[in-house]
Amino acid sequence: MIFPRDATRRTDHKAASETFYDVVVVGSGISGAIIAEQLSQAGKRVLVLEAAADEDRSLKGYEGFLSRFYAAASKDNQSPYPHNPNAPMPRSTDARRIWPGQPDSSAYLVQNGPFSSDTTYTRVLGGTTMHWEAKTPRMLPQDFHLRTMFGLGQDWPLTYDDLSPYYVQAERELGVSADVEHQSYLGATFDPGYVFPMHELPLSYLDKVVAKGVDGTFVELDGEQFELSVRAFPQARNGVPNAAYDNGKGYVPVGAVNTHQVEEGERCQGNNNCVPLCPVQAKYHAGKTLAKALQDGRVDLLTRTVASKVLVDPATGRVDGIEVKVYQDPESPQHTTMIMRGQIFVLAANAIENPRLMLASGLSGSSGLMGRNLMDHAYLLSWALLPEMAGTFRGTNCTGGIVDLRAGSFRRQQAAFAVDIHNDGWGWATGAPYSDLVDLVDQQNLFGAELRRALPDRISRQLLLALMIDVLPNESNRVTVDPAYTDQLGNMRPVISYTVPEYTMRGVAYARQFARQVFQRLGAADHTAYDPTDGAYLTYEGEGYVIRGGNHLAGTHMMGTNSRNSVVDAQQRSWDHPNLYLVGGGSMPTIGTSNVTLTMAALCYRSAERIIAQLQDELSARLQTPAPTELPMPTVVAAS
Amino acid sequence: MTGPRQLDGSRRLEDFLAFSAEATAFTVFELRGTGQSQAYLNTCDGIVGTEVTDCLLDRYDAARSAVVASESTLPELLRRDILSDPQLGPVARNIAKMWFVGVWYELPRAWTEAFGAREGNATFVVSTQSYTEGLLWPAIGANPPGAKAPGFGSWAHPPRIPVFP
Ligand SMILES: Cc1cc2nc3c(=O)[nH]c(=O)nc-3n(C[C@H](O)[C@H](O)[C@H](O)COP(=O)(O)OP(=O)(O)OC[C@H]3O[C@@H](n4cnc5c(N)ncnc54)[C@H](O)[C@@H]3O)c2cc1C
Ligand code: SF4
Repeated sequence: MIFPRDATRRTDHKAASETFYDVVVVGSGISGAIIAEQLSQAGKRVLVLEAAADEDRSLKGYEGFLSRFYAAASKDNQSPYPHNPNAPMPRSTDARRIWPGQPDSSAYLVQNGPFSSDTTYTRVLGGTTMHWEAKTPRMLPQDFHLRTMFGLGQDWPLTYDDLSPYYVQAERELGVSADVEHQSYLGATFDPGYVFPMHELPLSYLDKVVAKGVDGTFVELDGEQFELSVRAFPQARNGVPNAAYDNGKGYVPVGAVNTHQVEEGERCQGNNNCVPLCPVQAKYHAGKTLAKALQDGRVDLLTRTVASKVLVDPATGRVDGIEVKVYQDPESPQHTTMIMRGQIFVLAANAIENPRLMLASGLSGSSGLMGRNLMDHAYLLSWALLPEMAGTFRGTNCTGGIVDLRAGSFRRQQAAFAVDIHNDGWGWATGAPYSDLVDLVDQQNLFGAELRRALPDRISRQLLLALMIDVLPNESNRVTVDPAYTDQLGNMRPVISYTVPEYTMRGVAYARQFARQVFQRLGAADHTAYDPTDGAYLTYEGEGYVIRGGNHLAGTHMMGTNSRNSVVDAQQRSWDHPNLYLVGGGSMPTIGTSNVTLTMAALCYRSAERIIAQLQDELSARLQTPAPTELPMPTVVAAS
Repeated sequence: MTGPRQLDGSRRLEDFLAFSAEATAFTVFELRGTGQSQAYLNTCDGIVGTEVTDCLLDRYDAARSAVVASESTLPELLRRDILSDPQLGPVARNIAKMWFVGVWYELPRAWTEAFGAREGNATFVVSTQSYTEGLLWPAIGANPPGAKAPGFGSWAHPPRIPVFP
């Protein structure tokens, strides 16, 4: 990502702490970046606080991530990112089996169980979209009304149609490649004449092999017939711009903030490395939005600045500052504590860190729901060997899938799901292709020519289906804090309690059957095996499964219609603190079967409008009642 | 047995490449093209010691000479004399894996128990280039994820996996 030169140093902590901003935003991920960019466009002064260090603000920094990835023996999805004990983050390799009554506190997330999730997020400048995969489906209309329709979960205080114009805004910013005709299914509608910014990315050859066996198949669920087909996923990565976009004005791929192609994000080249890091920035990441936000000088960005406490005026309930811990050296606990002030505050630190910060500030909220209803898609992996060479390990991580069972009346009984066809083989399940090489050499005793022949035979025929299964809100799935568990700066770490709900497990069991059926259609040999010693191994009705974390964290500051059933309102504004917005996945009452980020981006565009209006309202109110608006002076509160 | 090799570095490298070609079924020319030859030999030497490496290369030399007069094929001789040797087998397998993915894999416990622990014997990527130069990727008609991008839309076509006789 390329930021205006020295954007992160344009302000220093002291100057910022002496400024009264219109809006103070915690977190520079996609949620925070969108809010900052929109407010800046509206002429507002914004301060963005980011916990991470800032090596990555230039192309050099970005390439440093790439080298770290190349050189990492374990290429898990956090491998490009440096360890930072002052802004620690979970890593999928952290997850361990949890025994009853013994929380696993060995890694950043304290896992209280009973289920040990390997879900992750990234605390770097630009947040988790630095390493996301960038699938961007909208939610389906049905997903907003599950309680009314089926008596399940929570209804949204919004409908698909309410959100639709904001989806359009989000699709523009993220630069979504998709074709409307393939996305109009199960009730999803688009404005007449709408086209996505870019044409859909071509399906992989592997997708086409699967399609040959699957297209036109019917399955019956709850008396309803569903016709299956392999479809391209909408993706936030650069493809071929659609000339018909915006009534024929066309589309210039997002990220053009520098004249140098490499620095701004090229067209996707099929590097097959979208997670954990796209080498050419063809994939959208929040740095692109942040770069725009920083361009006009109204947004100040402070890195190495960890929000540690939300300070509330007990008389009014308003937030009057954010306490931050500022460090220099990620390895050292040395830091300075300061307070940042503004008119409105936005927490955009993600669905785990937002409630963590609120709870660590003693703000559990009048609904008692802060941190509760943690949701994350359950991924079930199923893998097989195709009878033919399908050329696995080419293209983006995933181009196509089967999405016909994302909605239907069967949701009354069991969770809906979407199926990804992975272009990166069995990697997620088995560590392929490395594990294959090691097996062929060390166990199968192949060498030389035999080994050469065996490698494509074992690897290029791999098919992995990742079945992404809906999870409903459940109050006992939650984030809490506990003073017994702190990080190097003394901030309390998130403690996660989580069970995969039975409703989801019914979906899991069906999804496994579904995968078997697909393999049968393709004549593919099922190699799926769930390891009972895996921390994420679960049994349901006599069969065992391993459930992988979805990285789609949501629900922990759910939106709703009143302060008893929710933490925030439909604009993501806190019911308890009128100048505080909690934004991101945490606000979502349900997640359906859509990867959450496009929806959270849409919600943030909506909130930005509301924040601008609120600033205006509060300004007019202040002009009517002249009051002392002198800024309280304390800046450096304590040093250690 | 080890004397002459240690004196002549280029000869050692030649022998290492010849053995590596046997291990991977890539030609010496292709192996050289990765630019990793010296780095891999150094890694091997650095961990197991030049004596063990030389011993392996000597055995390979001997097998190559023997095969002319032998009823066995070269692969059969290699299996007998190197791959099933408790000390040389794991090293030979490590050399093969290193060429394919640029990773030195930690030697098995049985090896270090029998022949002594070695400093630096952990699983590691030899260098940034060794990852992108891994031969596994061309062997399966793909690119190393995150490098040597094949180009927009390339994935839509059938794979071109080199046919190997
Ligand atoms: C491997 C992987 C693949 C994914 N793939 C997809 C996908 O295909 N599609 C999809 O829709 N979603 C995907 N996601 C999820 C997606 O990345 C997240 O939903 C999204 O990035 C969340 O954005 P955010 O801005 O709300 O939070 P984040 O991106 O997590 O940003 C939060 C920011 O706040 C900062 N921060 C945290 N705590 C503090 C603090 N106390 N003080 C100051 N700053 C703080 C963090 O450092 C970070 O920069 C994926 C996630 C992962 C891990
Ligand atoms: S396939 Fe490659 S070029 Fe395309 S988005 Fe993914 S990592 Fe980037």
